[in-house]
Amino acid sequence: MVAETLDIELLELSAESEAIAGILDELDYFQILKLPNTAGLADVKTSYYQESRRFHPDRIFHLEDAALKARVLRIYKRITEAYSVLRDDVRRDKYLADITGPSRAEKLRYDEESEQELKRAKDEEIGATPNGRKLFAAGLAALQAGQVDAAERSFKMALLYEPSNERLKAKIDEARERAAGPKA
Amino acid sequence: MAEEIAIGIDLGTSYSCVSVAYEGSQEVVPNEWGDLNHASVVSFLEDGTISVGNAAKRNIVSNPEHTVYSAKRLIGRFFFSEEVVKARQMMPYTIVEGPNNGIRIEVRDQRLAVPEVSAMVLKEMKSIVESHLGREVKKAVITCPAYFNDNQRQATKDAGRIAGLEVLRIINEPTAAALAYGFGKEISQKVAVYDLGGGTFDMSILEIGKDVFEVLSTAGDTYLGGDDFDHRIMQWLAGDFLDKTGLDLRQNKWCLAMLNEAAEKAKIRCGREGSAEILIPGICQDTEGNVLDLNQVLTTPQFNQMVMDLVQRTFKVCDEALQAARLTASEIDAVILVGGPTRLPVIRESVMHYFGKEPMAGIDPEQVVSLGASIQARSLLASETETYLLDVTPLPLRIATVGGFTETIIGKNTPVPTERSKVFTTSRDDQEKVKIRVLQGESPKADECESLGEFEFSGFRVGARGEVKIEVTFEIDTDGIVHVRAADLETGKETRTSISLSSGLSEAEILESMSRNRATQRASVGG
Repeated sequence: MVAETLDIELLELSAESEAIAGILDELDYFQILKLPNTAGLADVKTSYYQESRRFHPDRIFHLEDAALKARVLRIYKRITEAYSVLRDDVRRDKYLADITGPSRAEKLRYDEESEQELKRAKDEEIGATPNGRKLFAAGLAALQAGQVDAAERSFKMALLYEPSNERLKAKIDEARERAAGPKA
Repeated sequence: MAEEIAIGIDLGTSYSCVSVAYEGSQEVVPNEWGDLNHASVVSFLEDGTISVGNAAKRNIVSNPEHTVYSAKRLIGRFFFSEEVVKARQMMPYTIVEGPNNGIRIEVRDQRLAVPEVSAMVLKEMKSIVESHLGREVKKAVITCPAYFNDNQRQATKDAGRIAGLEVLRIINEPTAAALAYGFGKEISQKVAVYDLGGGTFDMSILEIGKDVFEVLSTAGDTYLGGDDFDHRIMQWLAGDFLDKTGLDLRQNKWCLAMLNEAAEKAKIRCGREGSAEILIPGICQDTEGNVLDLNQVLTTPQFNQMVMDLVQRTFKVCDEALQAARLTASEIDAVILVGGPTRLPVIRESVMHYFGKEPMAGIDPEQVVSLGASIQARSLLASETETYLLDVTPLPLRIATVGGFTETIIGKNTPVPTERSKVFTTSRDDQEKVKIRVLQGESPKADECESLGEFEFSGFRVGARGEVKIEVTFEIDTDGIVHVRAADLETGKETRTSISLSSGLSEAEILESMSRNRATQRASVGG
């Protein structure tokens, strides 16, 4: 009896792993963990445990079937990869934006480039250098107070420290527009 | 046919322990004298035989130059590493440089690699079970500190093979302890494992969800253990002796061995009884030929003061592990103590203070790791898996870049098995080889990390500079061992890979060691 149930479970695993392995590179991390895009940390963890019980290589350690083992290992490595990205709130948000955006196909796997993009976005948000951050904050304060010229000066000086900060450039434009606005 | 059997071995710095799991139960296996913990000591006798375990430990004083202990402190390390430099000053046996910056130990007329010595301890564990059960044992799960790097894990695995064991898995000591604690209990808890061994300290935070044991984070210090506590007592004894007599006991390896033995005993007795009398009769002679005794009393307050900074260091590691797991000490449901030194009141009290709760009672800190390893061994062989260990890699995996810096490929605390790929482009026309140096460590500087080896890839298409793209895949398996492979990105054809600058043993050396190990005779004298 027991042996029979095990056999059926193994047949299932064999069939499922074959199906998943065939399309593994087309799946996003949510799909790999069998989750909707809206899943939060708790769902991610529950699913990681469930899929581990299914695809952990230890489950079939005692078998001889090398092809099945290789397939299951390949899937399981993708499961741990999915988990390590989705368990982090910031990375999960970034990943979700990536895979729902226009370059989904290239963004299915969170890599070094994704991490760099995340870091850049964060730097642009608050400034990447101490002086840049200070001047950026001063510019924002001036802008809020309606001192558009002072704001533009601060942003321009911040740009000296961070020449490639796109958000600064946008803020300079904003200050200029507001300076030009009332005159028009 | 009887059910296939696999054992769980806790290969410790000071003591080792071996267990077997059966359906619904597991037990620590005693040797023929009833000992459950066996000194990780190998003594090489004059007649060419060896003595292993507690009998060998007694030879540290009588046969110091040919008795190897604390080999685990040396395993998988380079000859020039800090730990080895320290060991060469401290150990009465001779440590010399081997091929590829490796280590060899010289005993009698032999030159042994460290895994060969560890293999003798493992073989002893194997034969303890064999004589207890009256049947052959071929398979084992061996534990190692969670904070061990790839070189140390690989060397531990090699030791198992040399001992004639098929190593089913290398698992982390704290993970094994958590498994022994939570196995079959159907609990959902966050658990902290405080593992202070003879030579290493590990802290792992786990989340147990019934049959799933997820390691949330791990942190450690492979240079901190109970031996360091002994060392503090030794320094105190020797310093005091120097003040009284003008003689420095530390200059003589025989005296050092006596001091070490006395210090360990005093530490244990002081922990148990509150104070310990230390008497070493005839430890040395003065210039006039008078035989001198060493006589001292160690009290708990004295001892606590000597080791307080070491104890504090363990809590820095705890802070780090909790932070990485994004938890606070108060969110931990259970604290498990592992390792002989955690029997000391100063440790128990400090741990209780730190976590705000009593450590779990009823867990033997010297047996729990091997029990966990045996559960995992049985689970691996069984057709119905009962436990899932979801472990992590303790150290960032890096590659060397320009100017002595590194780039992280796989971050620490990443769940394993895992793999990451990176594409490299040829930088010269007609380039035939791509070389990558792989390292492990916390520092972004290459020289502050442990080198795992230099990988050279060849056999790909040859073309103009920048035209050929090689995809290199870095994999960390369930043993925590690193594998590197590469393929031509366009054709998908795997390249040839060769490794150099690695501290490990070659396949040929392992095979040679295996036959040497088989030929080694155990001394017939017992107890």
